[in-house]
Amino acid sequence: MKKDNSQNAVKVKLSRTDRIFNICVDAFLIFMLIVLVIPLWSTITLSFRPNHYIGSYLEGMFLPPWKWSLDAYHALLGNDGFLDAFLNSFKILVGGVTCSLLLTIPMAYVLSVHTLPGRKWINIIIMVPYVFNVGMIPTYLLVKSVGLIGHLSAVFLPTAISTYNCIIMKQFFEGIPGELKESARIDGCSEIRVLFNIIIPLSKAIIMTIGLYYGVAFWNDFFHAMLYLTDKYPLPILLRNILIGSGMNEFVESNAFGNAPIQAIKAASVFMAALPMVGAYPFIQKYFTKGTLAGSVKG
Amino acid sequence: MSNTSISNSKGAKLRRDIKRHLGVYVLAFVPFIYYLVFKYIPIFNAQIAFKDFMALDGVLGSKWVGLKNFKTFFNSFYFWSLLRNTVFYSIGKLVISLPLSIILSITIYECTKPHLRKIVQTISYLPHFLSWVIMYGILLAILAPGDGLINDIIKLLGGQPIDFLSNTKTFPWVVLISDAWKEMGWSAIIFIAALMGIDGSLFEAAMVEGASSWQRVRYITLPSIKPVIVTVLILKLGTILDAGFNQIFMLYSPQVYSVADIIDTWVYRQGLLEFEFGLATAVGLFKGVFGMILVLLSNAFSKKVSGTGLF
Repeated sequence: MKKDNSQNAVKVKLSRTDRIFNICVDAFLIFMLIVLVIPLWSTITLSFRPNHYIGSYLEGMFLPPWKWSLDAYHALLGNDGFLDAFLNSFKILVGGVTCSLLLTIPMAYVLSVHTLPGRKWINIIIMVPYVFNVGMIPTYLLVKSVGLIGHLSAVFLPTAISTYNCIIMKQFFEGIPGELKESARIDGCSEIRVLFNIIIPLSKAIIMTIGLYYGVAFWNDFFHAMLYLTDKYPLPILLRNILIGSGMNEFVESNAFGNAPIQAIKAASVFMAALPMVGAYPFIQKYFTKGTLAGSVKG
Repeated sequence: MSNTSISNSKGAKLRRDIKRHLGVYVLAFVPFIYYLVFKYIPIFNAQIAFKDFMALDGVLGSKWVGLKNFKTFFNSFYFWSLLRNTVFYSIGKLVISLPLSIILSITIYECTKPHLRKIVQTISYLPHFLSWVIMYGILLAILAPGDGLINDIIKLLGGQPIDFLSNTKTFPWVVLISDAWKEMGWSAIIFIAALMGIDGSLFEAAMVEGASSWQRVRYITLPSIKPVIVTVLILKLGTILDAGFNQIFMLYSPQVYSVADIIDTWVYRQGLLEFEFGLATAVGLFKGVFGMILVLLSNAFSKKVSGTGLF
């Protein structure tokens, strides 16, 4: 205390109100932390509840880890439906991100070439559907008429280019010094080679970010899978069926889930479905934050 | 004479320009086809809003009925209820989430303990990446009527357990609060970024003048991020007809349709469950046109006020 006093007189002079302020700030953040963690913690502990658990929910949250059980996970992972759904989700993720990047990168590059005759028209072609959204039925009719119903690609093809992502990428490409592209062109590089040899190596970070944007969207997608798939299901659909209990009946009747409690199985499937996202989260957080800021600063 | 030579040289220049950019057009070709098929055919299909759509006749073969579908919708009792619910959820989310995310960003910025700051940031961004299916699972775990966390506490305090998700009084609150819980950390990012941009010398000057931390927040921090708050507010108002299909769809059930149904969920049920394609498309088109006007207005307004917009 005394050390502080001699070091920074101004700080200490204000320390009374400042200390109250700091306590309020910390208290608010700790309160927020508790509010954020409780629902997550309660779901996780619920999933580890043993088969013959008796006791209230509240007590269950403070069950010591050595009394946890993997019953629900055994039941869930032993089920073929879960592994199939996981595989389908993975296919949608890989196919979707590949397809999206293959379409978004050239589109963004084309828009970033300012000298391109007709660029204004290309811009309009892209912005009109972005601003004017005709809703789900006309798109559904299209997917149906091209025969994609029931194919996993129907989940990602209709949303393969997000105009918003395309604009962010375009802005990044515009920031690359024009001289680099010009000198390559003078050296006789074709536009395709300029894109592959100059633009893409300089844009790894933004491609990563946009790839993650797409990846998260496809991994979490529930709506398009529900609309377009008939017999193959990705994870979100299976999870919903387990949660609302409709997909549960057959499992329960055939005893595929053993005698693990339904609530625990539901919580375990939530946790399993969230796990890949949580695992990728440190990575996602790093790039997403960057991308969001890039988008918001330039706008 | 001189006119023709100018236009000639213009035409020649254009031709040269196009030739020079041939490769760029080649690159544009596949995305262009994509836009044509997946973005413009749906716009073309939207004509069934003015038709009595029959699946067998197809989009072109169905009979024109003029504004019949729109009249059916505007004259029905659910028109106002859908509009009211949609606007209620959009505004409600804004009213709850915006102040929360502003306070969160300021407290994160002002926090003197780097560890606490880092942990809160990391945990508060996380729910943004969880889908609403997963959120529904989490909500079931804490709100379940028989043995959920909240009802356990209610019982402990001597109250009656409530079925939060199928009660018309509690459902709207579940929607608003769960949205705030999921998105507040993520929405705070843009404010944190703005706070990082504040000139540090302002704070030094305030310190020398003897301003308290409260005064610093009141007179420096808040005014500095005011333009960002205004921009976010205006742009959010532009998407007022998007009340969050995924969330409502996942949480609602027939018992709460009266307070839960928004335009999007209704369009989904009417079109894909009841097969009223014409009517559902008309409602979607109504939303699309109004949404477009709102987005364009809010974008222009935001550009005028703060110099930044979405596009």
